[in-house]
Amino acid sequence: MSDSDADRPTDDHVPGDDEFEPIQVFPEAEEMDLRPGADNCYKCSTCDTNCPVAEVDDEFPGPKFQGPEQWRLKRGEDTDIDPSIEKCSNCMRCDHACPSEVPLSQMHNTARGEYVEEHVDKLSREYVRNRILSNYGTMARIGSKVPRLTNFVMGLSVTKWVNDRVLGITSEREFPEFATETFREWWDERGGGQASRERARKARAASESESEGEDEGEDKRVAYFHGDYANYNTPEVAKAMVRVFEAFGYEVCVPDQRCSGTPMFANGMLDDARRAAKFNVDTFRELVDDGYDVICSCTSCSMALRQEYPELFDFEGTETVAANTYEALEYLRIHEDLDRELADSDVETPDFAYHTPCHARNQGLDGQTLEVVAAIDGVAAHDVGDSCSGISGTYGWKNEHYETSMAIGEEMFQHMDSADAETGLTECPTCAMQMEHGTGYEIRHPLEVLEAALVADSDVQQ
Amino acid sequence: MAHDTEVLVLGGGSTGCGIARDLATRGLEVTLLERGNLTHGTTGRMHGLLHSGGRYAVSDQASARECIEENRVLREIAGHCVEETGGLFVQRPEDPDEYFREKLRGCRECDIPATVLSGAEAREVEPYLTKDVERAISVPDGAVDPFRLCVANAIDAERHGARIETHAEVIDLLREGDDVYGAVVRHETGPGKQSHARPGTTEEITADHVVNATGAWAGQIGSMADLEIAVRPSKGVMTIMNVRQVDTVINRCRPKGDADIVVPHETTAILGTTDDEVDDPDDYPEEGWEVDALIDTLSELVPILKDARTIRSFWGVRPLYEPPGTGTEDPTDITRDFFLLDHAERDGVGGMTSIVGGKFTTYRLMAEKISDHVCEKLGVRSSCTTAEEPLPGSENLETLLAGMDDFGLRSPVARRSAKRLGSRSQAVLETDEPNPVICACEGVTRAEIRDAISQSGTDLNGVRIRTRASMGNCQGGFCCHVMANELAPEYEEPAVRAALDELFQERWKGERHALWGEQLSQAMLNYALHATTMNRDRDPAARSSGSGDETETVESIDYGAFDAGRGRSAGSPAGRATDGGSRANRDSNSNSRRRNGGTNGD
Repeated sequence: MSDSDADRPTDDHVPGDDEFEPIQVFPEAEEMDLRPGADNCYKCSTCDTNCPVAEVDDEFPGPKFQGPEQWRLKRGEDTDIDPSIEKCSNCMRCDHACPSEVPLSQMHNTARGEYVEEHVDKLSREYVRNRILSNYGTMARIGSKVPRLTNFVMGLSVTKWVNDRVLGITSEREFPEFATETFREWWDERGGGQASRERARKARAASESESEGEDEGEDKRVAYFHGDYANYNTPEVAKAMVRVFEAFGYEVCVPDQRCSGTPMFANGMLDDARRAAKFNVDTFRELVDDGYDVICSCTSCSMALRQEYPELFDFEGTETVAANTYEALEYLRIHEDLDRELADSDVETPDFAYHTPCHARNQGLDGQTLEVVAAIDGVAAHDVGDSCSGISGTYGWKNEHYETSMAIGEEMFQHMDSADAETGLTECPTCAMQMEHGTGYEIRHPLEVLEAALVADSDVQQ
Repeated sequence: MAHDTEVLVLGGGSTGCGIARDLATRGLEVTLLERGNLTHGTTGRMHGLLHSGGRYAVSDQASARECIEENRVLREIAGHCVEETGGLFVQRPEDPDEYFREKLRGCRECDIPATVLSGAEAREVEPYLTKDVERAISVPDGAVDPFRLCVANAIDAERHGARIETHAEVIDLLREGDDVYGAVVRHETGPGKQSHARPGTTEEITADHVVNATGAWAGQIGSMADLEIAVRPSKGVMTIMNVRQVDTVINRCRPKGDADIVVPHETTAILGTTDDEVDDPDDYPEEGWEVDALIDTLSELVPILKDARTIRSFWGVRPLYEPPGTGTEDPTDITRDFFLLDHAERDGVGGMTSIVGGKFTTYRLMAEKISDHVCEKLGVRSSCTTAEEPLPGSENLETLLAGMDDFGLRSPVARRSAKRLGSRSQAVLETDEPNPVICACEGVTRAEIRDAISQSGTDLNGVRIRTRASMGNCQGGFCCHVMANELAPEYEEPAVRAALDELFQERWKGERHALWGEQLSQAMLNYALHATTMNRDRDPAARSSGSGDETETVESIDYGAFDAGRGRSAGSPAGRATDGGSRANRDSNSNSRRRNGGTNGD
């Protein structure tokens, strides 16, 4: 406010637009006014009836309250978000359930960010723990330097005791093991992008010798967003992605990247998420401009790039990256004739109990894995229903949410148990943790099945 | 002959309630009569602006000065009814510079704190303001809840011994010779709290002095005693948006014109308004194009309004008055000042005073002047304390609210409840019983509903204005029946059903003016819930099968009513115009918004 003008009531030179330029072009996510989003809500409560947390926890008011109702009750200066926002697991099933396009998860993410910013003590155990959990990649980078030692230490009961009592990380779960060689180490060892270009070209040449055409596949280029988990913990999934795409003639590039931000959104760490997202958007935007499509093997990562980034941030290229990001199977189903390729395949793997991650469902990807597996001889995948696994990333790792997480997962465990299979299958690494934790089954990724069906054993050695 | 009461106040709007409080606190015996619920006439049909005086700073500086003084008083005595939003007078490129300067000068002359903001600064305060705003004047406008303010005045009057009768329509004035000495009143369900099951009664109430504070209806009351009071009722349309697009009062800074204000009101924003003289304050057309024009014009200031959801529209009637012979043509030029008509002096008829004109923000000052006048008439020596004594709900407000817990409620619900109840929060919300949220749109709990029922009986509209329950985006679709449920078991089923129907009907009266886009979908969902799921449309086929349910007192369908169609006043189910609208013209006011306006988020 310019009080100085108060002394010049009849002065023509009151400040106008030309004297003042807005400093901040885009509002910070935490300052976003999402009240207009409540306009789409008819109170029908479909979101509440689809909320897995509300189903098992009577104390949780449900997404309708967390989202449109809470935002509508806000006034400009209000900062009091109800603490129950921390009970939301960020499964985003409410987004999928809403018949009226209420931006529920955007409201939840923003409210959670405000809540953490305004109401959670930055020195509290909860904040420290959530910060650690949501910045898993940082911890994993250090841990994976000495993977065997880290795995040993993390498996010690004393470590679990400390995590449980000091940090509030449940000791019920086994910490995921670090691979002895990260995916990126393997990738560099293998020759990086140059090697991939070569393999892709060979694969195209092999298939073209059948069709006797020119090499029309030079623009088949994808940029792989592997995320932290596939890098440090399940490099076999990332390797399968590379080999499968190369077998279809795609040159894969693996740029530097940070965490997708999913665990940060879920913990209200929007500043951390913004830094990670900015880095990723800057990186992938340039690749998209060069003709690459962005491929994720984790459905939560693709969800973040496609939906959460544009909802919460506004970096240059955010929308471009979002529009050119795909989940791996989805991409192959769009661009390749998978049925034909798989027609002659025959694999020797056990049958699978398949769970659709909520975030896959939100992207309209439910069902695709079942169809792909059905096209492969020698293997069957049994759908274990549409319930939520309950772990929702870091949610089920917290002492206070462990019981809720397992109660939500119960339906899936039962269905897995009664399915005619002893191995689990899913796209999401944390759903996989929950499936393994609840049933003791080994859990695979659909890309590993595709790899078994499509990639020659000799290639899998490399 | 001793009279029933010393002063009989007619009209339960802001003026009437203010007078009742003022006189009662001075120790006089007061009875107040209101034909509907409190605020039923004009008070309940305003945009909720607490004037800083800025609006009148150029055209009517006397009113402007009164406004800023009363604005300060109300912040003190009625903190729980007032939200200190601040206000902006916004200049668009086509609005005259000269007027902007006059406005600023006028504010300074009237001691209204005013600061000039650049366009960019104004947009920092309100991000949804149009990008081409030139500049703005910041003034201490506020938002006030007229319902809560009226009710608080009535509660305080009752605490000081006043008798407040709602749903009590004056059907005649008692006049003998040149003396008015009371009124004949028809109690809709008998005297006391509303109870839908009770039959109506009539009562003669005599008084030493009658105060006619019926605003736009003052002429009708006057004619009952053969007195001519030439009020010039003028209607204005207001549209309620589903959410607050702005948290500051936004005024257009130009000389005059329709559709120039947006007031943040509780969870909503209210767009206003127009100014058209009408003949009958109970019967005038409510036209769709008025709503369209309002939204279109205000979208020039706040573009997001164009596609935002509206939840209802309503029309209010200003009680404008000017002395006979003034002959102003345009109602916008009629003064907003108030007039005290001493009928003894003016018409030679004693025992009655009328008050006309005026505006909501200065209701207390008007009440003070009337009360002084009445005391003088009755020979009572007393002084007014209403400017200092806080209203019930606003005593020690800040200290109390600061130390208050959340009563086990979700924090936004607790916050909204405490704002509504003010210093009564503890007494109302602290309960050992379960206290679920009844109205989720507005965050109203069962304890607050029960408190309101204890004041207003089966009048669920009375509960509504006290709590805001059913005033949110579903317009009662999800809570009307739950509110009615709270009437049982104290009241019998037929009374509960009748109360529910009345509330639901009142909600529909406003919602029917917002039937496009999102609110049309909402209305369809509400219909599906109530008519089909709850069978509240009472399928006549099912009834004729003779299930023999004797508790259900449904009369047979009046098929004749369907054919009477337009203009049939008896077609109004409430039997009484709560909004003054007639059924005529409904067909012709077309659906232009449906063609060009709201889309359903597609």
